[in-house]
Amino acid sequence: MELEHSFTVPVPEERAWEVLLDVERVAPCMPGASLDSVDGDAIAGRIKVKVGPIAMTYAGTARFTERDPNAHVITLEASGKETRGAGTASATVRSMLEGQGDQTHVIVHTTLNVTGRPAQFGRGVMAEIGGKLIGIFAANLADMLGAGDSPAAAGGAAAAAGDSGAIAGSSSAGAGQQAAGRERVPAGPEGAADRPADALAQPVDELQLSLRSYNSLRREGIHTVADLASRTREDLLAIDNIGPASVEEIRQKLAALGVSLSEPAASANGLSPSSQEAAGQLPPSGQPLPGMAPPGRPRVDARPPDEDAIDLLSVAGVPVLKRALPAAAALLLAVLVVVGLRRRRSRRS
Amino acid sequence: MIPAQFDYVRPATLDEAIQALADGGEDAKVIAGGQSLMPLLRLRLAYPELLVDVGHLAELRGVTDTGGALLIGARTTHYDLLHDPLIAEHCGILAQTAATVADPAVRHRGTLGGSLAHGDPAGDLPAVVLALDATLIARGPGGERQIGAGDFFLDYLTTALDAGEVLTGISVPKLGPGWGYRYEKFHRTAQAWATVGVAALARRSDGVLAEARIGLTNMGTVPVRASAAEAAAAGVEASRAALDGAAAYAAEGTQPPADLHGAPDYRRHLARVLTGRALAAAAGV
Repeated sequence: MELEHSFTVPVPEERAWEVLLDVERVAPCMPGASLDSVDGDAIAGRIKVKVGPIAMTYAGTARFTERDPNAHVITLEASGKETRGAGTASATVRSMLEGQGDQTHVIVHTTLNVTGRPAQFGRGVMAEIGGKLIGIFAANLADMLGAGDSPAAAGGAAAAAGDSGAIAGSSSAGAGQQAAGRERVPAGPEGAADRPADALAQPVDELQLSLRSYNSLRREGIHTVADLASRTREDLLAIDNIGPASVEEIRQKLAALGVSLSEPAASANGLSPSSQEAAGQLPPSGQPLPGMAPPGRPRVDARPPDEDAIDLLSVAGVPVLKRALPAAAALLLAVLVVVGLRRRRSRRS
Repeated sequence: MIPAQFDYVRPATLDEAIQALADGGEDAKVIAGGQSLMPLLRLRLAYPELLVDVGHLAELRGVTDTGGALLIGARTTHYDLLHDPLIAEHCGILAQTAATVADPAVRHRGTLGGSLAHGDPAGDLPAVVLALDATLIARGPGGERQIGAGDFFLDYLTTALDAGEVLTGISVPKLGPGWGYRYEKFHRTAQAWATVGVAALARRSDGVLAEARIGLTNMGTVPVRASAAEAAAAGVEASRAALDGAAAYAAEGTQPPADLHGAPDYRRHLARVLTGRALAAAAGV
């Protein structure tokens, strides 16, 4: 499906251009999105779409396929897979910038393609969800661009995001979160030196954590004790559904193994050791453990995903029946074959 | 068709349920009759990590007369609504609508509160509660609060209930003398969701329709009031022609969804026709 949104931001075109190419600034504008890693043009991340009780998380990659400063066009292609299902989603987002003095008009054209269970809903819900998400994204982007480093722009930004007044407030909070996220200090190397390697290699599920904590950790890509030990208390608290009580539970389970959470590096300038250094410190064997996230990566917090949630369901019955049909047919066939064989056998005897 | 793993608690009191919900955080979900949530779980579209079952709490069930209004417990089933003498006497449209909800199995298990808290715009009872100007009562860790039906439905499956709140009851003003009602529903099969539904309440005096209140099912992402048609119907002569004239405004301002069961234009047409029928029946013409 094709979606088109446009907005005007009170900054000159060069500045808008620069910001639009900065993934770590742009990603938090997408409701429910978070970045896993950024490596040059290759961006890995996930997006959580929540509609009432229904939640879908897509994990995937994105990259810039077009950066044409002459035509003022940026194209971002993204594709992802449902983390708990077989569905896929892909999007091509083409932004066209048009400078108008010290303002920039941005047209965002999105081609969205969704397959799998969510796409089976009737009601054109996916179009609606997609449209709303992109709409919020555009409004947040306008807000962020406007609220940037030009102080005079603040009023204009509010005007730019005017058609989505409810969003404006939360997106400025998001910008704050983002700033906080960048300053967050990653895991320090200390404390990791004398832990037994086998305790670190243990999978998280052997800790017998509550289902809720376990699921939340797993979703965050924390699979082993080493993954867990590489995080600070603050890192864990930043994970959805992990609160002080859960952290305490984790801390106690780790303590039983003689392992503790990382301490925040207390360096005055907030600079952190690079992810390689930190990772190298962890297991004494020097073997990087599988699934271990680089602790030094900048974390970008997602905006609360359900600020403008949408529904699905309704005609769910029809796709279910459709899906049950092949199974029913196969069963019938099997029964017929068995009956046929028995008859043949009884005739023989 | 087997739900993802979740924890399940069955608290003995409402207060315990609220506590359990608070402990469960964002991924905890209340279940009562389970007639909307179970399909979502089985389709693996919802992954709550904790289900708090309030389906057995007696304090949430039943209808009481509070003077000018009826207080209906959130856990009151559709079947209860159908057979309650107070509902029949003062808010008959609830019983009439409950009779059209899905099939008997669903009506025995499904609850009024569940239908409202689920917030499906294709559900029948939300539009009726909206037309009745009911007040919804929710209780959370911070105490009880009342939410007008008009402020309750925010978006698809999204209501004004906070994550830690339980819908405990619905206060429905009694319909006084002179009021008539009708729920008109168009659906392909008896147990299907409404393609479009119209809940009409009309007060008639001296051959004139003094006041009309119309709620629409499945004509947007939330149940909506047909305010243009309400305004057009107020004060007109209680005749089929005049009421059909008012009903022509029924789809004004709506953004009905498009799906297998109908395009938006088709739904607008249905809304106009069904509103005409519902108003006529409510006004007794």
